[in-house]
Amino acid sequence: MFKKILFATSTTEASDHAARVAFNMAQSYDANICIFHVIGVPTRGFSQIVMDVKTKEKVEIDDEYIAWVKEEIMVYYSKQLEKAKSYDIKVAVGFPHREILREARNNSPDLIVMGGSTGDDEDSVYKKSMVGSTLQRVAKAAPCPLLVVNRPAASFWGGISKVVFGTDFSKASDAAFKFAVKLAKDLGCELNLFHALDISSLHMGRLLTQDEIESQIRESLRCIRGRYLDELKGIKDYSFDVWEGLPYIEIVKYAREKHADLIVMAHHTQKSSNEDARLGSNIEQVIVRAGCPVISINK
Amino acid sequence: MKKILIVDDDPNIVDYLTTLFEDNGFLTFAARNVKEAMELARKEIPDLITLDLEMPEEWGPRFYRKISQEKNLKNIPIIVISGFPGCTHAIGKAVACLQKPFDRDELLKIVKDNLK
Repeated sequence: MFKKILFATSTTEASDHAARVAFNMAQSYDANICIFHVIGVPTRGFSQIVMDVKTKEKVEIDDEYIAWVKEEIMVYYSKQLEKAKSYDIKVAVGFPHREILREARNNSPDLIVMGGSTGDDEDSVYKKSMVGSTLQRVAKAAPCPLLVVNRPAASFWGGISKVVFGTDFSKASDAAFKFAVKLAKDLGCELNLFHALDISSLHMGRLLTQDEIESQIRESLRCIRGRYLDELKGIKDYSFDVWEGLPYIEIVKYAREKHADLIVMAHHTQKSSNEDARLGSNIEQVIVRAGCPVISINK
Repeated sequence: MKKILIVDDDPNIVDYLTTLFEDNGFLTFAARNVKEAMELARKEIPDLITLDLEMPEEWGPRFYRKISQEKNLKNIPIIVISGFPGCTHAIGKAVACLQKPFDRDELLKIVKDNLK
């Protein structure tokens, strides 16, 4: 299922939690792990002078510098690399999201793993509640599933045995569902299907009665049964639930309640306008808040 | 052949539902109380359950609570059939809730939709 993992790292603390999951997965599934680091953005055009994102210094990029950066990465991850069966270290120059996507297109990994926002120290308070721009852009265009570990709490990991799949009944969710089913079958894990009934914004401020909410929950449960039940044959354990509330909060709560090791969601929501489809705000918030890794499926 | 467990303490309803389902090609089992229903559910693993709410000793919702704790039984669709007015949401995860006297065609449609 996961034979090639692309671990896109800033080689800083922000990626440490993702590193733990990426290396652990590579080891568990005998996968090749490609540690991919983008050194920085050229100061102008095709200039050889690059602002190194890690050291914040302007440097001249040549073979010697690239070799030094690779060496630094090897030292940074030396402990993990001792146990890694197969790995590559690649560095690139450019805008991080473009280079990550380019690498993903060229080498077709089964999974991209990324950490949370690096952010600057002084605005960390704000950064913690939103996903970084690199992550947003990679999630939007990734040609394969993207696994994100945003919080340290999301990385304490011993493999996948319980998966939560969050659906909004969109076409994109159907694609994410296929991935979740394949994962549950291949890895023999429990699959929990979940839909959150949004009672916050849909009703123009009108308060719904509890009977109305519960009728809608029943309808959503019917929808889950009708849409997904046939595909669940062969999965050892599954369940479906619909909770009402703020969708991203409910998904995070549900995953906590189920002791989930992984949340799978579609990247695109039902929203069609470009502005909103940037990164469906629900998955964005789930990524930021979840207590386990989140896989975003783009197509 | 799909199996339906009928849980109801009223023998007339049990007879009626048994005939209705068997005439439509389903295999049925009937239980008069929650204890019997639990034993039958564990033994037969039905594909669908019709459940009355008010029964002697334990009531329907308690039966639901019990089966929802069991891995093999928790996903079985439940149709609540009860004489209570306004019982629609007594069991949140029931696939439907019908009030006695119910329309047989409506019931059969719900059963067939859930046993596709």
